[in-house]
Amino acid sequence: MNLKKMLCAVAGAALVSVGAAHAQWKPTKTVDVIVHTGPGGGSDLLARAIATLMEKEKLLPVRMQVINKPGGNGAVAAAAVSERKDDPNTLALVTSVWIAGPLTSSEAKVALTDLKPIACLVFDPAVFVVRTDSPYKTLKEFIEAAKANPGQLKQSGGSVTSRDNIVRQQLQHATGARWAFVSFPGGGERLAALLGGHVDMMVIEPQEAGEQVRAGKLRVLARLSENPLPGYPNVPTLKEAGYDITPTPQIRAVMAPPQMPAEAAAYWEDRFAKLHASPSWKKYLEENQLDDHFTNSAELGKLIKQIEDELRTQYQAAGVKVVR
Amino acid sequence: MDTIGGLLQGFDVALTWSNLTMCFVGVFLGTVIGVLPGLGPPATIAMLLPLTLKLEPTGAMIMLAGIYYGAKYGGSTTSILLNVPGESASVVTCLDGYQMARKGRAGPALGMAAIASFVAGTFGVIALMLVAPPLARLSLAFSAPEYFALMVLGLTMVVLLSGESLTKGLLSMLLGLWIASMGTDLFTATSRFTFGQTALLGGIDFVIVAIGIFAIGEVLANMEPHSAPEMLPVPKGLRNLLPTWEDMKACRFAFLNGSLVGFIVGILPGAGSTIASFLSYGIEKAVSKHPEQFGHGAIEGVAAPEGANNAETGGALVPLLTLGIPGSGTTAVLLAALILWGFKPGPLFIQESPTLFWGLVASMYIGNVMLLVLNLPLVAVFAQLLKMPAFAMYPMILGVSLVGVYSDSSSIFELGLLAIFGLLGYGMRKLDFPNAPLVLGLVLGDAMEKALRQSLMMSQGHVSILFRPIPAVLLAVAAVLLIVPLFKKFNAMRVQVLDQEAP
Repeated sequence: MNLKKMLCAVAGAALVSVGAAHAQWKPTKTVDVIVHTGPGGGSDLLARAIATLMEKEKLLPVRMQVINKPGGNGAVAAAAVSERKDDPNTLALVTSVWIAGPLTSSEAKVALTDLKPIACLVFDPAVFVVRTDSPYKTLKEFIEAAKANPGQLKQSGGSVTSRDNIVRQQLQHATGARWAFVSFPGGGERLAALLGGHVDMMVIEPQEAGEQVRAGKLRVLARLSENPLPGYPNVPTLKEAGYDITPTPQIRAVMAPPQMPAEAAAYWEDRFAKLHASPSWKKYLEENQLDDHFTNSAELGKLIKQIEDELRTQYQAAGVKVVR
Repeated sequence: MDTIGGLLQGFDVALTWSNLTMCFVGVFLGTVIGVLPGLGPPATIAMLLPLTLKLEPTGAMIMLAGIYYGAKYGGSTTSILLNVPGESASVVTCLDGYQMARKGRAGPALGMAAIASFVAGTFGVIALMLVAPPLARLSLAFSAPEYFALMVLGLTMVVLLSGESLTKGLLSMLLGLWIASMGTDLFTATSRFTFGQTALLGGIDFVIVAIGIFAIGEVLANMEPHSAPEMLPVPKGLRNLLPTWEDMKACRFAFLNGSLVGFIVGILPGAGSTIASFLSYGIEKAVSKHPEQFGHGAIEGVAAPEGANNAETGGALVPLLTLGIPGSGTTAVLLAALILWGFKPGPLFIQESPTLFWGLVASMYIGNVMLLVLNLPLVAVFAQLLKMPAFAMYPMILGVSLVGVYSDSSSIFELGLLAIFGLLGYGMRKLDFPNAPLVLGLVLGDAMEKALRQSLMMSQGHVSILFRPIPAVLLAVAAVLLIVPLFKKFNAMRVQVLDQEAP
């Protein structure tokens, strides 16, 4: 009889604890957020801001620390996340680079689709700019000029796989115009090439362009963002500028190791939803001119698949070798 | 803007107790991270950024800038004492600095590094203050074709760095150019020479190669049983710890050269302090009356590059503060910091935030004095390191190298690379290959290739773009540098023949 009672008690306790664990997994040690840039890079700064805001909004019982895994254009970081297998205390802050790398380099073995999606946070916005003394007042004028002089006009930008080049490909495909794309490794060099008159146009982050526009050095022709950009009133989207193109978005999202337990993944999804709803996150997005685009885990999974397919098509059209 | 008035206002800001403290904290931290290989200014500033949000922005900017230029002072210490470059900008300092230490002149080398840093650093600030806006506009005229020509000019220095055999020097440089081409190509997204390694997709970090070839290679060569591990002579007496008056006189031109080259290269967004230090070293050797002493402990070979990498700081702040264009990793983080504090770095920045700009400029005068006062007494302390016996010294060099590389990357793979380049450095020493040309090829190769391809993309394949005025002049100078030694050789042969003919 005693034994029966005890068994009941044990079973009951076990049930309770299982139920509690299922609903209430919580991190008990410092959480690692892996990024693919060194300290000071875009993802690094955003990850550090997230850690600060999580603390400020008291959303986590533990601290978040940023782990920099630079190298291999994101591939080293992706491999590091994948190696953490089922660790519930590891997250990654990823960008579209994590999708592009494995598509074009066979050495990059971990695709973003191999990791577990948690939440998408923002789309990186961008604007098309020319110098103020340039003859082009609208995107249409630039594209017509490019059509009239094939290959003569130039755009400065990043790598051949970057969003700047993809949107150029899309526009060229839709309009039949053709202009050159000159790659520069650093954002400062791209901007200097435009300001110095060595190229004619560039696609740039609104924050980077803001002061140049205010000082009357650059003119904005169009924007790549869903939401209107503060500080850029009356700037048309590509559709409003007359081009029926849905630009492939550049995402910043939170991912987890491939086998993170479901309850931990659910916990993180919920935390980031709460962060997204907080006023300090809204303020941060506004100050940094980021394009708010929150999705849950399931939608993020679909979004990544869709971006991967679009990039594959665009790379092939651009003559870039695609390996998967 | 009235410069004198602005500067007085700036000293008003910089001379408050709190800002003086911030300045000292910055330059002190900078010296420390400069001395330690691995951890560099961009990483340190990025990690301190969240803390600075609670501080008053002018003071915080004074501190972060102090870290930036302070690190350039500290970087030479391990280059000179251990042959381990503390920062990428101090790699070329190893060539003559370490040789000076081996000859018992570690003190004068360290002292000269600090003095040259002070002279050129102050020159950089003066130039930043006086000529920033017009020069910044001029720097925009520089684009891919100009960079290409500048890199070609730099590569011709192989003639100067090769030593006995030009063939061996050229082979060594080709190896450097090859290593520079590893990684993912920016223009086609193709992987080059990655050997299937994920970690090689981003290329090989230049500092790892330099530490491997200089420091590890040196340790291995010294551990051979037949070469009795020699103890480095330790300078005795205070007088031998500092450069002599003759040293100062010998370095007059090096100060000027380092100041000008460093500042001008600093202004260009596509170059940087490493390239500046190499160029000024090459110029110094080219104009020297005794070029044969370079690489064997010529004090000008320390003064010129150490000056250049400090003048570069003033130059690099020109496009950042007057145009809002960051030219390097560190200035990009400083730009992020300014934005975080609510400033608007861009073409209107100096007009709209004069307090910050002039406060910063004034603090840099003060900071450079602080660094000189801080670093000269440290010479005596650091020189004592050489008293260590070989059995303690060489393990320490290995330890410092390993920790330096690991702290920067946290990757075991890079430690493996360090070992490979250490063996390469050892092999090159055994076979009498000069290692400086390899590092030169590695520093300039990547930038040169990119600049050439960008130029041709801009011109739709027309080579004529490389012969517009600025690049044409630079390429002509490079050609002269290559041809003149041939004439000298020819002349020497002619003299020899004449001597033989005349009885």
